[in-house]
Amino acid sequence: MKKLVKGNEAVVIGALVAGCDAYYGYPITPASEIAHAASENFLPLGKVFVQAECEVGAINMVFGAASSGQRVMTASSGPGVSLKMEGISYLAGAQLPCVIVDVQRVGPGLGNIGPEQSDYFQVVKGGGHGDYRAIVLAPASVEETYRMSIEAFDLADKWRSPVFILTDATLGQMMEPIDIREVETHRSEKPWALDAKPHSNDNLVTSIYLDFDDMEEHINGLHAKYAEISEQEAKAEVYGADVPDIVLTGYGITGRMLRSVVDQLNERGIDATLIRPQTLWPFPSRTYQDVVKPGIPVLSVELSCGQFVEDVRLALPGHKVKHYGRVGGNLPELGELVEQAEMLLQEARND
Amino acid sequence: MAERYELRFSGAGGQGLITAGIILAEAASIVEGKHAVQSQSYGPEARGGASKSEVIIGDGPIDYPKATVVDACLAMTQEAADKYAVGIKDGGILLLDSDFAPNAPEGNFTVYKIPIMRAAKEEIGREIVANVIALGAMIAMTGVVSRESGEKAVLAKVPEAFIDLNKKAYSLGFEKAKEVLEG
Repeated sequence: MKKLVKGNEAVVIGALVAGCDAYYGYPITPASEIAHAASENFLPLGKVFVQAECEVGAINMVFGAASSGQRVMTASSGPGVSLKMEGISYLAGAQLPCVIVDVQRVGPGLGNIGPEQSDYFQVVKGGGHGDYRAIVLAPASVEETYRMSIEAFDLADKWRSPVFILTDATLGQMMEPIDIREVETHRSEKPWALDAKPHSNDNLVTSIYLDFDDMEEHINGLHAKYAEISEQEAKAEVYGADVPDIVLTGYGITGRMLRSVVDQLNERGIDATLIRPQTLWPFPSRTYQDVVKPGIPVLSVELSCGQFVEDVRLALPGHKVKHYGRVGGNLPELGELVEQAEMLLQEARND
Repeated sequence: MAERYELRFSGAGGQGLITAGIILAEAASIVEGKHAVQSQSYGPEARGGASKSEVIIGDGPIDYPKATVVDACLAMTQEAADKYAVGIKDGGILLLDSDFAPNAPEGNFTVYKIPIMRAAKEEIGREIVANVIALGAMIAMTGVVSRESGEKAVLAKVPEAFIDLNKKAYSLGFEKAKEVLEG
């Protein structure tokens, strides 16, 4: 069935297809439609919806429900995600599967409700305390938001890990058609869960190990898992010429815009290729190393002053990567991006 | 890049212009199977003052999701006309409510004026359907979707009891557009 929905609504439709059992949240523009859609759809299906007293309450409810083996989610935007960060660290430490959506808005502080991609460091690099990682999915369309929302629950179960869906105000608020169909989801057995069944009496869900050696073993275990995730789950879309003169890169809404830039450059006889990471952690470094040949200029575009670009540079050591960003709620115009690409190409030719 | 057609509906918050944009996007994408992206004012901007809704329709994927040069724009109030009747392409269309947005901004586009709110009040008896009259007129003027697809999308959106009312409003939009196009 085709339906025209907002990106924010697509998150909830995907969660329902994935069999999500419970939503705990607190509204904030531009993420509020996720809570609206969850409240409208979860309760009639006998699922749990709670508007918590605050974001901290919501994320700790997620901890409790995830401990019992339920598929659970929450959603917010920058300021709310900041508040959730302590809980997210606990979830990662206790290896609890859950899905967290961040519809990025302008920061720092209260900022405004326009689109930005400035929560990259917070979401991709940690945000909470301690030595943890969380899987981060970055959709670029409403359809992809829907599909990644389904996938996020499977990944969370598979790896016993919080999974982020990182969108932004543009993607969350815009409407596009999606094709809703039943898909197979892979709900893992959860023998570790505290589900009040007799076998669970001996289970322990915790992030506290007071003995230093036990703690070290636990943390090393987490990182052995992270190494496997890095090996298996990194994903990116590559679009454009096979042998490019210039490589463009961006994630989410800017990655999508760059497809148009690739098309325009190709029309002007410039072979351009887009790399659009679909996972931000793990970062698809190998795709960059495969596509970007020595000496080929790379233009990295994001709605921030330069966060995502750091991972692009780490993926391409010694390579020239130029950052271009817009902030404050503004989106780059198409012509502006084409101009940036042409300027970079000119610079590279002069070098 | 695939062909794209961009429309902007603007007016006072609460006039239903966001809904009009959504209905047009549904007519294009669900009824006609084209690609469509709709975006709009949100948060406090959508609840008073001037608000807008943009629809981009294309035969292929719409990678750049915001309006670039607007092919057709509607402004239901003077404030909306002053704020949002910008970036209209040469040879494009601007439709104004003749009572509430009397002054057209400068530009190389064709300006049409229809008393949309007055028609809703006097000819239908309900101001609430002004957005559907406006939608009918915009579809008539642009041909961006067929008359039938537009009607189907309008009727799919409204409760049973209001089907006749909206059918009438949608047709009235076509009639009014015909009058000004031929006038």
